[in-house]
Amino acid sequence: MEGLGSLGFSIPTLIAQVVNVAILFGLLYLVAYKPIMRMLDERSRKIKESMDNTERIKEQAERAEEEASKRIEAAAKEGQEAIARAMRTGEDVRQEAQQKAKSEGEALITRARSEIQRERDEAIEQLRESFADITIEAAGKVIDRTLDKKAHRDIIDKVLKESTTLKKG
Amino acid sequence: MPEKKGCLGCSFPLVIGLAVFFLALLGIGIAAGPVGKSIFGDLGLPAWLSVPQPELKLPADTVFHLFGFPITNSVVAAWITIIFLVGFSYLITRRMKLVPGRLQTIFEFLVGWLYDLCVSVAGEVNGRRFFPVVATIFLFVAFNAWLALLVPGYGSITIHTAEGEIHLLRAANTDFNMPLALALTSFGFFWYFGFKALGIRFMENFLNVKVLKDGFRQLFKGKLVDGLLGIFTGFMTIVTGLLELLSVFIRVISLTFRLFGNMTAGEILIFVMLFLVTFLSVLVLPLYGLELLIGFIQAIIFGGLTLIFLTVAVQSHGEEAH
Repeated sequence: MEGLGSLGFSIPTLIAQVVNVAILFGLLYLVAYKPIMRMLDERSRKIKESMDNTERIKEQAERAEEEASKRIEAAAKEGQEAIARAMRTGEDVRQEAQQKAKSEGEALITRARSEIQRERDEAIEQLRESFADITIEAAGKVIDRTLDKKAHRDIIDKVLKESTTLKKG
Repeated sequence: MPEKKGCLGCSFPLVIGLAVFFLALLGIGIAAGPVGKSIFGDLGLPAWLSVPQPELKLPADTVFHLFGFPITNSVVAAWITIIFLVGFSYLITRRMKLVPGRLQTIFEFLVGWLYDLCVSVAGEVNGRRFFPVVATIFLFVAFNAWLALLVPGYGSITIHTAEGEIHLLRAANTDFNMPLALALTSFGFFWYFGFKALGIRFMENFLNVKVLKDGFRQLFKGKLVDGLLGIFTGFMTIVTGLLELLSVFIRVISLTFRLFGNMTAGEILIFVMLFLVTFLSVLVLPLYGLELLIGFIQAIIFGGLTLIFLTVAVQSHGEEAH
């Protein structure tokens, strides 16, 4: 103990220094470690949050980009389909118009033919009537008396009908 | 670009003048000091050139009494360190910012470094528990040493007391009681964390009779060889445990004397250098730098060893084996 005393060992000073260490420990815990650890934890949490947010935003951006490219692709596909559909419709319209024009043409031709036929028939009819009249008149002049127009006309018409050269159609 | 003539950014005449000045100081210092006196004898130089022989005194001087309790100059120095550390910490942490300023960055760096050290050695959970203890020991040891070297007044301001003329301040680490107090703190936390983590099982590290009992049990069952082997191993375990217990107490002594010895030796070295060659303060500056480094190293050693002891305390021997 005497040796320790020569080194400066003193129980009161030792107690005082232990108390000093304890006080320093308590005070530093309150004013240094606690606030700094809280701040470091807070900063770590914020950094982690920021990184998570960045990751999430990145993922969202990737998803949005993917979505956008999908939509662009779909729009392009849709556009191509629309073009194809329009072309098909155009072709249909063209064919329909062509068909319509053709059928109209054919109808026109048919109508013209039937018109011609009708006019021809009318002309023949008029010719036949005129011919019958002329014939009766001529025959009447030849025999110099008036013929029964009605009866003779019927006979002439019958002959004309039977005739192959003046046959209708 | 014209070539500059000179040395160390000064013109040659200035450098030569300074060199002559310092050499003269060195010469006079050596001649006036004990080295010169022993070589040249008394040259009749003025008495004020002589430096009084440093008085190497290990016990700290009592500056005053507080409620009948002696307050030594090392205790006053410890108070200054406490005021400095707490004041500095308070100034920095009272307005903590998420984006730190310069001082906050420096302090956070220091504290963060100590925290990382604790976590890397003891793991996340235990590191966080040990950190305040280790950091307090580190900061106290380091700043006790640094303030004693950097703040004027340590070992130079004297006061008159009933015991005579004494120094008002003395580096706290150079008083035997301060390292001992720190070592006892480390020792106290060793037992505290050990019992907290392992309960009464913590004592098995120092007194384990289980193996001995197993040996006797084997012997009573008639297994002679296994029993004798078990009893022998049991005794060895008890002896090892007692040695372990002894080593725990020896740690207190080793921690105390390591810090006390290094710090006191450093201070004595500076005193002696200043005494041997008067006016050689400039040349003693590197020694001051060395002492600053030693203060830091001792703080790391004390804090680091405490950290290791605490880590060992929370691990049972069974865990250590794995």
